[in-house]
Amino acid sequence: MDSNKKYWKGLEELHQTPAFVEKKGSEFTENIPIENVLNEAGLSTKTPRRDFLKALGFGVGAVTLAACQRTPIHKSVPYIIKPEEVTPGVANYYASSYKGQSLVIKTREGRPIFVEANTKALFAGNGVSPSTQASVLDLYDMSKLKGPRSGDEGISWEEVDKQVIAALNSASNSGKQIRIVSSTINSPSALAAINEFTVKYPTAKLVVVDAVSYTGMIKANELSFGKAVIPQYRFDNADVIVSVGADFLSTWLDGIENTKQYMANRSHTSLKNGKMSRHIQFESGLSLTGTNADVRVTVKPSEEGPLLIALYNELTGSALPNALSENQKAATAIKLVAKELNQVRGKAILVAGSNDANIQSLVNAINVHLGSYGSTIDLDNASNQYKGDDQAFAEFLREANSGLIDVAFFAESNPIYEYYDSKSVEDALSKIKFKVSFADRENETASFANIIAPNSNYLESWGDSEAYAGYYTLVQPTINPVFDSRQFEQSFLIWAGNTTSYHDYVKAYWEQNILPQGKNWYDALQEGFEFKGSRGGSAQSFTSSVSDLANQIGTQSKAIAKDIELQLYLSGGVGDGKQGNNAYLLELPDPVSKVTWDNYAAIEPKYAESLGIGENDLVEVKAENGYSIILPVLIQPGQAAGTISVALGFGRTKAGKAGNDVGKNAYPFVRLVNGSLQFNNSVTISKAAGTYVLAQTQTHQTIEGRNIIRETTFANYKTNPAHGSGNTGEKHKTYDLWNKYEQPGHSWVMAIDLNACTGCGACIVACSVENNVPVVGRDEVRRRREMHWIRIDRYYSFENDNNEAVTREGEVNRLSDLSQVTVVHQPMLCQHCDHAPCETVCPVLATVHSSEGLNHMAYNRCFGTRYCANNCPYKVRRFNWFNYWNDSRFDNYLNNEFTQLVLNPDVTSRSRGVMEKCSMCIQRIQAGKLKAKAEKRPIKDGDIQVACAAACPSNAIIFGDRNDPDSAVSQALKNERVYYVLEELNVQPGVGYMTKVRNTFEA
Amino acid sequence: MSSHNESIIREPLVTGENITYAKVTDDILVSVENKPNKAWWIGFIVAALGALLWVVSVSYTFWTGIGAWGLNKTVGWAWDITTFVWWVGIGHAGTLISAVLLLFRQNWRNSINRSAEAMTIFAVICAATYVVAHMGRPWLAYWIFPIPNQFGSLWVNFNSPLVWDAFAISTYFTVSLVFWYVGLLPDIATIRDRAIGLRRRIYSILSFGWNGSVKTWQRFEIVCLILAGIATPLVLSVHTIVSMDFATSVIPGWHTTIFPPYFVAGAIFSGFAMVQTLLLVARKVLGLENYITMFHIESMNKIILVTGSIVGIAYLTEFFIAYYSGSEYEQYTFINRFVGPYWWAGLLMYGCNVLMTQFMWFKKVRTNIALSWIFSIVVNIGMWFERFVIIVTSLHRDYLPSSWAMFYPTIVDVGIFIGSIGLFFTMFLLFLRVLPPVAIAEVKLLLKTQSFEAKKKLIQEGHQHAEEIEYYTASLKKYDVLTESDIKELVK
Repeated sequence: MDSNKKYWKGLEELHQTPAFVEKKGSEFTENIPIENVLNEAGLSTKTPRRDFLKALGFGVGAVTLAACQRTPIHKSVPYIIKPEEVTPGVANYYASSYKGQSLVIKTREGRPIFVEANTKALFAGNGVSPSTQASVLDLYDMSKLKGPRSGDEGISWEEVDKQVIAALNSASNSGKQIRIVSSTINSPSALAAINEFTVKYPTAKLVVVDAVSYTGMIKANELSFGKAVIPQYRFDNADVIVSVGADFLSTWLDGIENTKQYMANRSHTSLKNGKMSRHIQFESGLSLTGTNADVRVTVKPSEEGPLLIALYNELTGSALPNALSENQKAATAIKLVAKELNQVRGKAILVAGSNDANIQSLVNAINVHLGSYGSTIDLDNASNQYKGDDQAFAEFLREANSGLIDVAFFAESNPIYEYYDSKSVEDALSKIKFKVSFADRENETASFANIIAPNSNYLESWGDSEAYAGYYTLVQPTINPVFDSRQFEQSFLIWAGNTTSYHDYVKAYWEQNILPQGKNWYDALQEGFEFKGSRGGSAQSFTSSVSDLANQIGTQSKAIAKDIELQLYLSGGVGDGKQGNNAYLLELPDPVSKVTWDNYAAIEPKYAESLGIGENDLVEVKAENGYSIILPVLIQPGQAAGTISVALGFGRTKAGKAGNDVGKNAYPFVRLVNGSLQFNNSVTISKAAGTYVLAQTQTHQTIEGRNIIRETTFANYKTNPAHGSGNTGEKHKTYDLWNKYEQPGHSWVMAIDLNACTGCGACIVACSVENNVPVVGRDEVRRRREMHWIRIDRYYSFENDNNEAVTREGEVNRLSDLSQVTVVHQPMLCQHCDHAPCETVCPVLATVHSSEGLNHMAYNRCFGTRYCANNCPYKVRRFNWFNYWNDSRFDNYLNNEFTQLVLNPDVTSRSRGVMEKCSMCIQRIQAGKLKAKAEKRPIKDGDIQVACAAACPSNAIIFGDRNDPDSAVSQALKNERVYYVLEELNVQPGVGYMTKVRNTFEA
Repeated sequence: MSSHNESIIREPLVTGENITYAKVTDDILVSVENKPNKAWWIGFIVAALGALLWVVSVSYTFWTGIGAWGLNKTVGWAWDITTFVWWVGIGHAGTLISAVLLLFRQNWRNSINRSAEAMTIFAVICAATYVVAHMGRPWLAYWIFPIPNQFGSLWVNFNSPLVWDAFAISTYFTVSLVFWYVGLLPDIATIRDRAIGLRRRIYSILSFGWNGSVKTWQRFEIVCLILAGIATPLVLSVHTIVSMDFATSVIPGWHTTIFPPYFVAGAIFSGFAMVQTLLLVARKVLGLENYITMFHIESMNKIILVTGSIVGIAYLTEFFIAYYSGSEYEQYTFINRFVGPYWWAGLLMYGCNVLMTQFMWFKKVRTNIALSWIFSIVVNIGMWFERFVIIVTSLHRDYLPSSWAMFYPTIVDVGIFIGSIGLFFTMFLLFLRVLPPVAIAEVKLLLKTQSFEAKKKLIQEGHQHAEEIEYYTASLKKYDVLTESDIKELVK
């Protein structure tokens, strides 16, 4: 049915008005002025206000939307198949070792981030050295090569193998020599691998050379006892320790093991038993060991030999020629020392830092006289840490120069930089057809090599070592090689035609040679070390002619006893320069001078005055061989007059971004005499133009008579253990402005034994690594802005003519003799005061007290008024002046994503404008609590160890819970020696210090 | 003087001949109603360049971080807080003049209060910029106020003097601004009435509809009095609290109970010196010698002398207490001011503030314009160094000698300091162009024209005793306001 219904659009349609009819045909009822708009006039019409606003609104809106960048995407890729042992957020620990020291490596999500000493280890189990602690940063070094190279070209490992084998074959076939130049290798597996290589290529030979060698000592032992080894020293068995120029607590042999032994007779536990060794140090420059000595006497390098002759004469009653005659103070000291030594025969030890066979032979003679062998020196069980042979290297150079050598390999050896005569090394290298360097970067020597076959970092490698006879440690990788590197041992195996992987090789070696019955490879990997030897050793007798020695020593001494005598030494951080690009070490203040980022010429104050040299001056140091460098001057009390001391290990030119051109190279001052390197010389110095400000973290050297350092003598200690601590008599009554709160849970505190702290600085590096403390560079340290959360304050004090201590700057300046200095090291960190002055003044409560006695820092809340730092009496707070981790000016450190992998993910990295300070490793405390909770048990003492305490090789730092009466720290704080720095302010610090006790001669 | 009970005739506070209300208005509005002269342009360009330097330096600091300054781990505050306290101190004179002197009916203040208050406001602005600029993360500066927030239960630390400080400064600034603006209302209305066109509209808005009725004046007087009452405690509180930024700490040289009165006296001292510095120039350049007279200059010099001496006594007290306390740290700090590496700063502080101001005992010095001006500069140099000594010299060698360090300013430190002075003068010079530098309405209260005419009429109509006339004319002679002929006409 059709519908007739009709719908109208409007009345107009119904009525068919004329207007409607007219417009019906067009699409739009009203004319749209499209032409007007599109023609020129239309385009230039004035924009009405509303349109303008619309356009503006749309424009702004659109731009705003466009500007709304999406939150940056941080890709976190989950594991597809989760490795069984890796749980994100939970650290894994692996046993490994570095330079023969058994370590525990902490890894997070596959990244090694912290190294700790293996406390179960037999040797050096207390802590680590600064360089070992910092070694983790070497893994993440951007200056390393990404893969093998030939010249400037990257090549593949196959190509490397092809070229090397071709060169080896051609050398072998033509009867030319092949040499492997390396620093000491004490890895049995590596030696086995090299042995395989030398079997394959019979002209190959291993040349071992150390930058800082002990050849003289090895030779001396060969001459004296027929054993060409370095013995093991047992400072823990010694009641009297005499050192002539040996920095044995830091850089002489195994400083960490030595420290551990040394402290066995000097720390608070030993003092509790009424026992303390006496340590007498004779030396030129003020070394770390010298600062810890009970009696320290300055001698020039040329006097060291004569001094030993005099000591021998005094001890044995003989009259050898060339005995020390001029240095009155030393002569008097020798008499006292000899008397002392004769009383404790069999419980004494004499060590000397010299690398001269004659001097070391005389030392042997004295030690035999003292009955040291078999008690304090163990010659039967050698130390394998330094096997370098200076003569062998000289021979290598001679052979190379005469064109006998066709192929040379350089493993962990950088003679262009380290050898005193780099010109001759250069000449020798130019005569060698094919040179391969295993350096991980294009260093000074590697740049001369035909091929660089980068060695993997120890954290990426398999390996082992036998640092002490019978003491085997394993090296276990904790990360896959980051770059395309290969262990040099593996390379040698491949070139020897052995295709076993080095892991299998080490495993097989251990299973065959090292592991005892019933112990498998995995047990060893877990434990990290295996000890098969014995400790002890037998007595020795000395048969050589001492008078011959005395004559030769006399001649040698005269050779350097002219002009100014130069002593070359190693600083505790940078060491021999192998870790020259390690920013942690470069910024670690020298333990004595507190200088960072430079080496310098240390000169005694009065002597410098007589030369017209002052602070901030530059001097030109020139040796007879014509080598000269311009060095900044460090005015060093305790330096022998007439001498200067310069640290080796600086002035590298191809170490990497951070380490290039830091300081000056002093290796060319080393002399080769009698087949061993001598680390002294005779130089002239002259003032050079210009001034130079050293970047020191401490510029005021004395305590100004303040009782912040409290000390006593051992004699006084024996009569009253509290002597000098201020703990005698009644304490002041203290008043409290604040309400007392119960602290029922934990109360984290610390005890620091000033007698045990050697000042080495391992704690500083450990703290920096653990807590992501930025490295700020030389300029910022100069501006006094180093960021270290823990520092070691080092104070000098002097004696006036009445034997009274002088500690005020003004009075010190009036003293005539500043070479006799006593030193104290005081680790200083946030004291976590119960009445913290920083907390009350923070306007935004960014720093608050925890119920566990800790002073917390809430970085996110801090807006940086710095009032807390101003109000801190200990000045331990550090401000982020810049965005250190992301600022091109601080490029030496964290400014790239790769190096940032070293960061501890448990610790926030702080942004600019925020205050920071020691947190007592709150992340470790939390981790310890969580672990205990997961195991459903209360925390027990020792579960939680802060980074500084873990690193301390002398256990000077004791951390723990004060509310646990049995904890080590509670026990330690009960010690009569304990005092609190600035306790009179009633800030109630949480860190107790134990008095420094010196076992001085009773006058 | 027998029976009459007239008050004595005081020294007139406005000098000059033929001073009428109209003339007062004309004289004072010269700078507002005319094109600026050369002197103003030179001053303004120099000041604006300074302000530009400030903008550049502060921007650079914000961009790179506080590391752009010379601060270090030991000296966490230096030029920033030194200059902050300096500016706050300078800001003190304004309130003292406007509020305290108003309450004490010191009418001479009417000629100088406007400029002094303006100076206060600009000085406090300069100080406030430092408060923000010295922060490590200035974009979070608002955290200093207890604003309800989304961060959970985060609140400010009411124990911290910095929080008190934020309150003190912001209150002070607000009250000073309101007081200043309320005082300006009748004067703005005066400008409005004389202006045409856009100017008239602008000033019309700014004058809040002032209509000059009796009721308006009455309310004006009451508001001024109330505000004066509110502002008076602030004179004491602001610098007291600023001083507590230091006094509540444990740092030797800061931890001192004498700080509040000592700081307040020092603030007034430096504030008056700054008023002197500005007005001695302004009265000359703007031709306001009749309104800012030698009487004013001398009065201000007297206040400078008094407060300077109070400051001197405070210094002595500090030394005595340091000795008497037996605290070696305290003693060292004070000896260190003389013999330490910053001995020169100590010398400038004690020399400029105490020794130099003692010359003000001599009337010749007090009434010498050139010397007054030089002394006013010296005082502010001395007061800057006082804060520098208190802050830097105390901090740089505190408890543990291992941390002792020197502070070396960077170019940015210097730029911000000089820049803040430029900023201050830019604001002050702009103020001279748009607002009357002297309170017109209040100065008109000081004119004696009407009373003189009335008295004259009384005398001429013979209603006065001869001795009264004699006393009156003697008084007039004494102050040398009227010419001989005027007096003759009076007594003929």
